[in-house]
Order: sequence, then structure tokens, then C-alpha cells
Amino acid sequence: MTTVIQASGLVKKFGRTRALDGLDLSVAEGEVHGFLGPNGAGKSTTIRVLLGMLRGNGGTATVFGREPWRDAVSIHRDVAYVPGDVSLWPNLSGGETIDYLTRLRGGADPALRARLLADFELDPKKRGRSYSKGNRQKVALVAAFARPAKLYILDEPTSGLDPVMESVFRREIERVQNDGATVLLSSHILSEVEQLCDRVTIVRAGKAVETGALDELRHLTRTSFRVATSAPLAQVSKLIGVHDSRVEAEHLVFDVDTDAIDRVLATLTQAGVSSLTVTPPSLEELFLRHYGDRIETEPAA
Amino acid sequence: MNVVRILVQQARRDRVTLPIWILGTVALLAVAAASVGQEYGDAAGRSGILRVALATPALLALRGIPNGDSLGSAVHFQSFAFLAVTIGLMNIFLATRHGRADEEQGRRELVLAGPVSRMAPPIATLLLGVVANAAFVVLAIGGYLSAGVAASGAVLSSIALGMIGLAFLGLGMLAGELTQTSRGANTIGVVLVLGAYALRAAGDALGRPDVTKITLEPAWPSWVSPIGWGQQTLAFTDNRWWPVGLIAALAVVAVGAALLVHSQRELGASLLPERTGRATARRSLASPVGLAWRQQWPTLIAWAGGSALLGLVLGSLVTAVSNANIGNAQIQVILQSLGHTGASDMGRTLISAVMVMVGAVAAAAGVQAVLRMREEETEGRLETVLAAPQSRIGWLLSYALIATASVLIVLVATGLAAAAGFAAVDQGDNAWLSLGSAVVQAPAALSFVGVTALLVGLLPRLAVSFGWAVFGILIGFGLFGGLLNLPKGVERISPIATVPALPTDDWGPTIIVGVIAVVATALGAMALRRRDLST
Repeated sequence: MTTVIQASGLVKKFGRTRALDGLDLSVAEGEVHGFLGPNGAGKSTTIRVLLGMLRGNGGTATVFGREPWRDAVSIHRDVAYVPGDVSLWPNLSGGETIDYLTRLRGGADPALRARLLADFELDPKKRGRSYSKGNRQKVALVAAFARPAKLYILDEPTSGLDPVMESVFRREIERVQNDGATVLLSSHILSEVEQLCDRVTIVRAGKAVETGALDELRHLTRTSFRVATSAPLAQVSKLIGVHDSRVEAEHLVFDVDTDAIDRVLATLTQAGVSSLTVTPPSLEELFLRHYGDRIETEPAA
Repeated sequence: MNVVRILVQQARRDRVTLPIWILGTVALLAVAAASVGQEYGDAAGRSGILRVALATPALLALRGIPNGDSLGSAVHFQSFAFLAVTIGLMNIFLATRHGRADEEQGRRELVLAGPVSRMAPPIATLLLGVVANAAFVVLAIGGYLSAGVAASGAVLSSIALGMIGLAFLGLGMLAGELTQTSRGANTIGVVLVLGAYALRAAGDALGRPDVTKITLEPAWPSWVSPIGWGQQTLAFTDNRWWPVGLIAALAVVAVGAALLVHSQRELGASLLPERTGRATARRSLASPVGLAWRQQWPTLIAWAGGSALLGLVLGSLVTAVSNANIGNAQIQVILQSLGHTGASDMGRTLISAVMVMVGAVAAAAGVQAVLRMREEETEGRLETVLAAPQSRIGWLLSYALIATASVLIVLVATGLAAAAGFAAVDQGDNAWLSLGSAVVQAPAALSFVGVTALLVGLLPRLAVSFGWAVFGILIGFGLFGGLLNLPKGVERISPIATVPALPTDDWGPTIIVGVIAVVATALGAMALRRRDLST
């Protein structure tokens, strides 16, 4: 598989702060890649470097094998971009903005444009200044999807959308993926990433702290068990790979490392099981393991 | 008591803005009063100049109606209409700032969510306006009296101005009830103020002069303008108070209508529906040039229209000056210095002087067009555009191109308007001279475009303040350097002082300034290519 985006050891300094501090990112052709992290972790800065808006202070980055700063224009022929904070021209209507932005890339597919306007329930005649945040985002999304691209770079594209519109958005992501396009989707909404992405990279303080296929990453997490069993707590808690075991309302509750599930199940069935709830590892857990309660308190870089 | 809290908060927000408006307007009056004392000379001099003005429709349109030949009368003639426009604009912007703008930005919603009456914010704004205009009246009386004019006239004229301010405060509040956006409300308000000025300009220009009493009976358009009513006080001669009552009635009606609509209106609603735009873009909106043009042309019409009006007036001004033979040596020297010419003919000198100022206006239009780039960048829209296959150099050159077009359109429109004015009175020579004198300002004006583009590329965060500072300083040196007796070398730093007036055989400086414009723009484009986008 070809690599569409390759970044290694990327450094970007703003004055004394290191917004990117040796960030690695690799996105293969055809995949939907989740780019996860809290506000200020460096997601938008990475995207701006990849788009050639900012010039990195160290490390290397390529998009389609080319250097984003030098070859910005030729790379952008195949890129559709939705910025995190969409700002529209106040006196241009939404329709005019969509036409202008798609014409810069060669022009919209009229049928696709009409369908997207209908699906996103967007009134193209309103002026930029009178759109709400969600509607501004829709204008940017329609402009991005109305002309096919090889790479879609979307910076928190659903932060202003309601659940119905999020599902329209997911349909579009699935459509462009079926057409063979690559998507880099930055987000801090875990459910969205879990539903859409093949692989994720988790960033923290300008570094990638975890990257891989969702399934692989789940191996790093623990599965939660809640069992009504005659096996005593002591017997279960001494098994290797079992953590945080306790009794709650006559149920045994504990977390199990992925490679220990086998052993735990064998022990439980021997003792007899009358009820069993198993919660699969969620991305949220993975996320929290890297950030914990510091998500709320960490200052924005 | 919440009205008082809101009033205090509004006043706090305006603690810089309003004093600047009020003190600036009073300073305008004080300067006018001082300069009238110097320029017009004694009573005989005033009488002579005012009689010339009575015979010059263009001057009457610009200034208003003369009314007697006392010092106070002359100051009043010189400044009343301008002061009325300034104080009118101050009130329009005040009404919008605390009215529709607050509502549009959602701040009003925050306030009204508390135990606050819907009517409290507009009533607080009304009180703020009353205080601001009263402060202006007091200071304006002081400004008049500093020139040693009659107190009765000073009080009447100042109160008339303050009342005009209140009338426009009411009209501004009403405009905020009509439209959904602060921009729309300000536009309606500014049109009303300029319309009031223009109506009385037409009425005064078409009026019947009375040379013995040195006054004028204006035609009907002056009677539908609150500024025209203010002139009818005939301050410093007849001192009539009833026109002030007329203006006060307008203020009461406008404020009352605004408050009535406001009491019935939902938050965020407006009497006029928000205009919708096109569902699809015109074919021309397909490149940064198309977009820059789309953004610039409404502003450009204002620049070119205002400047062309000045050009149109020039013809009758030159005729009046030549006929009246008021060409005393001192004025001639001033005009020669302003126009950077040694021409001995008064008319030609005046054309050069005015066209240098038109060049400054064109340069301002160009600088403003170039600085749109920074707005695009800070608002984040440049990022979206450059994420498309659009080069940075091409983008900058697009805005430079539209700025260049703005400069040329202002100059050509003004030159043509002036030429038409001269052609109408059979002065073909002056027609050609004024068209040529306008166009020859292009390289100097474009050098400001180039330097500003370079600033955008090189020092993005400082570009707006530096751009206007460079403009202000260099235009100031260029226009007034001679009058202030600055060394020639310092004056020559300014492009508009370097370029010689027509007719000339010395094209060197003009060409050099033009080359600077091109080189600076190119360097700006290269600098933009080398830096991070900066918001």
C-alpha cells in the first residue's frame, strides 16, 4: 500500500512553545485515519504544516510523496480541506462560497453539489454572516465533498453538527472511502472515530503517543467483566492479568488484560456462571489512559 | 436601576470612542474659527470673500448659506454643515454600536436573560446619547467663544448642532429596528446623514442670494434636511430659535418610533427582511481576482464617487477664483506649495493643488484594498483558499491588481469629472490639464500600494497599523511639507512631493516612483511565499 501522508519527527515552534515536538504520522492510501487528541495537542498545527500553511522547524513531512511547503499548489489539486474554525465571507451567500472554493479546485460536480445541499439541509442563499456555526461548517463540508479529491483533510468537521447531520457526514465519508479516497479526520469525539476510522493516531503535547489499527489498540486495553458466579473473589483476583477486582451487589466486577481473557473464562466456567456482562474495550479507555483527568486541566499549547 | 447599570456599562465601552468623536469635532470647530480669523482678515475682507461665495454655487453647496459678515457668521458658514455631518455620524454609530450590533453579536441575549426589561438597553443608549450631545454642546460653545464671537450666536449654533445629533441618534436607532445587521443599520444611517448634507447642498446651491444682507434664501431641498433647518437658525444675525424646535420634533418622532417598534419586536427580528443572496455564484467569481473585485467595488464606488464630485466642483471653483480676482499673493503661495508647482496662473495652480490631494485619495483607496489581504488572513479565510491549488504569489498579486485598478479608477473618474466641468464652461486647456494632472498621480499613489503589499508580506502583524502610518506620514510631508517649511529633502521622501506637476519635461522621478511600486509589490509576494500564515 502506498503512503499518502508521511511525517516523522515533525517539530513546530511558536516562539518558545513547541506546538509539535517530534510528531510522527503515517496515513496509507484508502484508509480513514483518525487523528485524536484534546484541544491544544497539536492536531491543527500538524494539519497546517501538511497543507504548507506553516513551515516545520524540524523533521520531515510529505503528502503524496511531495514536500508540502514547496509543492503546496500541486499537492492541493488532489486535496479537499475543512478547517476547524470555518470563517466565511460575510457578504457572500453560502452558494457563492461553495462555488468559489470548488472552482479554485476545478469546479463542482453540479449533481453532487445539489444532492449535498439537500442532504445537509443547507439554504445556499443566506449570507455568510447570518449562518450559525453548524451551518458554516456545512458550507465548508459541501464545498469539500462537491468535487472528488484523493485526500480529504477534515479538522474536527462535526463539532457544530447535530446527530442527524453527523450521520449524513458519516455517509459521505463512507462514500469517498469506497471511491478509494484517503481521509485524515481530526477529532476529539471518540464514538465518531470508532465508527469511521480504520486506524488512529493519538497525539499529546505535540507527540504521537499511540498509533495503529483500532483492533490492535484495543489489545492494549482491558475488558470489563461483571459476573454472577460461585467462584470466590480471592480465586479470581489472584489470576495473572486480572485487575481492580471487587464485589458489587453480589457480582464480581474486574478488568482483564486481553491476553488473559482465556484463562479467566476457563476459571469462571469451572465454578459455574449464572449471569455475565462483558464490556469491550473502548477507545475512550485508551484515550483516558493517556490523558486521564488531565484533559480538563492541561493548558492549551 | 438596571437601566443605570446598562448606561454605565455602555458609557464604559465608549470611554475612548466618544471622547475622540466629541473632542475631534470641537477641535474641527476651533481650528476653523482660528483660521477664519487669519484667512478672511477684517470685516471688509470677510464681506468680500462671502460675497464671492454667494456667487459660487459650488462653494454654497460645499459649505452652506452665508449669513452676515461678522466673525461668528464667517465661522458658522465655514464649519456648520461639516460639523453637522460629523456629529450626525457620531450618533448613528453610537446607536448601532449599542443597538443592532449588540443584538447581532448575541450580547443582548445575555443581558436580557437577566431580570432586565426589553426596553432598558435602548433607553440607556438614549440617555448616553443625550449626555454625549450635551457634552458636545458645552464644548462647542467654548470652541466658538475661544475665537471671540458673539455669545448668543455661539449658544444657538451649538445647541442646533447638538439637536441635529439627537435627531440622527433617533434615526440611527430606527435604522437598527429596520435591518437585521449592524452593517445594514450603519449603511442606512450614513446614507441619511450624507443625504441630509446633499439635500441642503442642492437647495443652497440653487437658492436666491441676497447680496446686500449677505445671505441666501435656499431652494426647497434644504427644507427637507435637518442640517438645512439648522442653518435656518441664522445664528449670529437673526438668531431664530424655532428651527431648533423643528429639529427637536424630528428627534422626538424618530426616537419614539424606534422605541415603539422595539417594544413590539422579538429579539433578533427586524422590520425589513434580511436580503438573501444568490444560490450560485456568477461566472466571474472563480479566482482571487474575482473575489477581490467583488469585495472592493462597493467601497470603490464611494472612493471614486466622492473624489469625482470634488473634480466636478473644481471647474466652477477655478472660474470663481479667476473672476473674483481674490488671488492674493499669500493664497497663491499656499496653493503652489500644495500643488508642487511654480505656475503663476491661479487656475492652473489650483488644479495642481487639488489633483495632488486627489492622488492622496486614490492612494488611500489602494492602501485600503491591499489591506483587505490581512483581513482575509486573520479571519482564516486565506487558509481555506490556499488549501485549494492556489499559489500565494498569485493570491497577493490578485489583490495588488485590484488595488491598482482602484487607484486608476479614482484618478480617471476624478480627472474626467473635472474635465467635464471645464469643458462645460469652454476651458478646453484646463480640461486636458486636469485629466493629465489626475492620471500623472498614478505612480506615486501606486507606490503606496506596493509598500503596503510589502508590509503584508514581510511584517503581517504590523501591516495594518504601519500601512496607514506610512500613508499618513508621507502624505502629510508631501502635502504640507512646504507650508511647514520642512527641508526639501524631507519633503521629497514623499512620493507625491517627488513627482513634478504638469506640464513637465522631468519624467525621471515619476518613473522611479513607478518602479518602486512594482519592485515593492514583487518583494511582498516573495516574502509572503516565505513565511507562515499568521492570524
